[in-house]
Amino acid sequence: MNEAISWPDIVVPVAVFAAALIATLWLRRVSYRSLISWAKRTEWQGDDILLQATQGASVLWCITISAALGIAVSPMTARWKSLGGDGLWTLLVLSLALTGFNLANQLIPMYGEKFQLPRHIIKLTGTIARAIIIVIGILLLLEIWGVPTSPILLVVALIVLIAALAFRETLPNLLAGFQLNTTEQVKVGDYIKLETGEEGYVKAIDWRMTQIEGLDRSTIFVPNRKLIQSTVINYGRPIKKAKESFRFYDRLHLKELTGLKARNLRELTDILKNAPDSIVYYHTHNFLEEHHYLTPEPANDFALWVSDVLGDVVLGERLASVDAFEFPGLSALRERLVNVMEECLAQGSESRQAPEGREFHFIKSVSVILPTPYIARDLREFLESLRKLSLGSLYFHIFESRLRLQRATNDFSLWLEQSLDEPELAGEIARFDPYTFTLEGTKSQLIQLIEKRLQ
Amino acid sequence: MRLLAKRLSGRVIQNINSTFSGGGVAEILQRMVPLLTELGVDARWSVIKGDMPFFEVTKKIHNTLHGRPDPFTQQDISIFNETSRKNIEEHNLVGDIIFVHDPQPVALVERKKELGKKWIWRCHIDVSKPNEEVWSFLQPWVLQYDASVFSAPAFSRSLPIRQFLISPSIDPLSDKNRELSRDTVDAVLAKYKIPGDKPIILQVSRFDYLKDPVGVIQAFRQVKRSIACRLVLAGGTATDDPESDKVLAEVMERAGNDPDIHVLLIPPGSDIEINALQRAAAIVLQKSLKEGFALTVSEALWKEKAVVASAVGGIPLQVQNKFTGLLSHGIEGTAYAIRQLLGNPEYARWLGKNGKEHVKNNFLITRHLKEYMLLFLALDRPEDVIYL
Repeated sequence: MNEAISWPDIVVPVAVFAAALIATLWLRRVSYRSLISWAKRTEWQGDDILLQATQGASVLWCITISAALGIAVSPMTARWKSLGGDGLWTLLVLSLALTGFNLANQLIPMYGEKFQLPRHIIKLTGTIARAIIIVIGILLLLEIWGVPTSPILLVVALIVLIAALAFRETLPNLLAGFQLNTTEQVKVGDYIKLETGEEGYVKAIDWRMTQIEGLDRSTIFVPNRKLIQSTVINYGRPIKKAKESFRFYDRLHLKELTGLKARNLRELTDILKNAPDSIVYYHTHNFLEEHHYLTPEPANDFALWVSDVLGDVVLGERLASVDAFEFPGLSALRERLVNVMEECLAQGSESRQAPEGREFHFIKSVSVILPTPYIARDLREFLESLRKLSLGSLYFHIFESRLRLQRATNDFSLWLEQSLDEPELAGEIARFDPYTFTLEGTKSQLIQLIEKRLQ
Repeated sequence: MRLLAKRLSGRVIQNINSTFSGGGVAEILQRMVPLLTELGVDARWSVIKGDMPFFEVTKKIHNTLHGRPDPFTQQDISIFNETSRKNIEEHNLVGDIIFVHDPQPVALVERKKELGKKWIWRCHIDVSKPNEEVWSFLQPWVLQYDASVFSAPAFSRSLPIRQFLISPSIDPLSDKNRELSRDTVDAVLAKYKIPGDKPIILQVSRFDYLKDPVGVIQAFRQVKRSIACRLVLAGGTATDDPESDKVLAEVMERAGNDPDIHVLLIPPGSDIEINALQRAAAIVLQKSLKEGFALTVSEALWKEKAVVASAVGGIPLQVQNKFTGLLSHGIEGTAYAIRQLLGNPEYARWLGKNGKEHVKNNFLITRHLKEYMLLFLALDRPEDVIYL
């Protein structure tokens, strides 16, 4: 038998609902106003997006809370109250789904762009997120309305398992990429060196790989997972860039015989006086090239021949002491050598003859210059290239460029001063006398100077 | 090297000599051609045809270019011209660069007018003091080449064509130079019945008067008077050297019944055995009277052996006196140097170490390959500084 419904039975729940609605809407308004003003002051954009995404749904939450209070104080039967409750839960689930949709639509593109994910990946991730929200929402609604969900959960678990298997390679890289971006251990623009030897500037970190541009301008792709797992030296951001990059060249050479030969000091002096630069260059640098491992301060061929073959150790010593580093070019060096020989000839030292077969043979050096893959745009790249440089290349930039190609100083100092604005370091290298070291010794001296400057 | 090889792509390099086996030239080409091919250079190798009389004449040419005063007869000229004519007519010349080794195939250049192309004459022997009659006979051909290559500066003559200096080389990975176990070395010594009781003095060379094996025996006998040691003379023969049997017989006679002298006739291809003998030796000699380059010196230096060698041909390039070995100028000097080293093993070791480093930097096949490729590229470029 139904009991008669009185006016208070209706008025009280409605009044409660109305009062609660006014109160919750007022509370919502006040809260949002202060939260929005706080969010605007933070750098993180996520809080702004969160507030924006929940703004519409929060009205529904106010209505739901107020309706729940109204139903609670109404004299309805338990059955009707239960039905009302289910309806309100449904409304809550829908509002949460709406919020989830809004968040997915805004957060995924924002982080996608930050991680430099390709557009199709951002779109795919958004679709997957929305699908997950729909599936969870449907499952919740079915649960609310008492429909069995176990078979559906089984299907969902299977789909998740298949997807996990399909993406088993990609997922760790994706997570590693996320870790790299959030922890900022390695950032785009950093100069890094891996334990496996690869090095260069980080050009991009995408969802699978990190791209590194090597010193030879090759692109190295390192899976994010491997980058996280390996030991990485991060030298940080690029340093001062050169106006023009430095291209390293290698130098190979051929020996060309001239057919000219000297049997005594007079003939040696006369031929040397008119010899082309390529001959002077060969005979003042040949010992250095062939025996660079053996001794610093190598003698020139003239000094060795005069001592060993003519047996004039005094003149040999004087010729050996002519320091090629003091001369700006080969003409001046030749002039000095000829002067020393002529001074000796003036003292009557021309009687000594070379035994047959031990004459001095004039040889000229034919240099073949090749570009190497190494290019430096800053001091760090310069240093790393220098470490890898062949001795032939070092020889070209230090010895040959200065004397034979008649540049004012060695190539390294020129570039450091003119393109990198490093006059002090340029001066230090220009003052450094490479003839007092073996080639390996010269290389390590240069490396030390540059390392000191970088520190 | 790959960069250089790339610049040669599309060009065929044809090497021509007189034998596929025996002697230093064939040995170098056996290594060089496959390596150039591996680098992407189209390198080929062909040999001229010749009978025994032809090779007897070319052997005579070889000796007389080294300065031996053998008569060069009209008959020799006819034999050389006849075989050369046949080769000029029949030899298949396919290279863009024709790289002719030594005097035997020198006349092929007569086809230059017809074919064009670039021609290089690679002279592996010392022609600084040749028999003028023989040199005058060869010179008209030599002057037709675009460039010539010599192994040592002293070999060059005043020629109106370009002359390059390219030393030959050894392959450190070949059977002749690779590392060997102590067991292998001992097995080779056992095979040739050489006891390991005394330090071994070794000379490896063809049985040839110009290698002075008799002088080596004389020097050894002087050393043996004061220091106990053994001498091993290990030699081979080449198909283009008909004289070696005669020299071998003379060496055997001079060695007599001395149990400390071991004369070994080693057939071509016994590279591991040569390697083992060099590794077993305390001192390696190269007491040549005349030399092309004497790669046996680099082989010994590569094995960190103390070397005593004559200051002839290309030897002074390999042995920087008192830095990477000792140079000698006669039998007494050789005996003195051997005594010095046997009496001072520390000094011998120091020389051997420097010697290996010197070979590593200057006489390995990689440097040789590089210089050949540079030569091919420089043929069209007369300037002193070439930018590639």
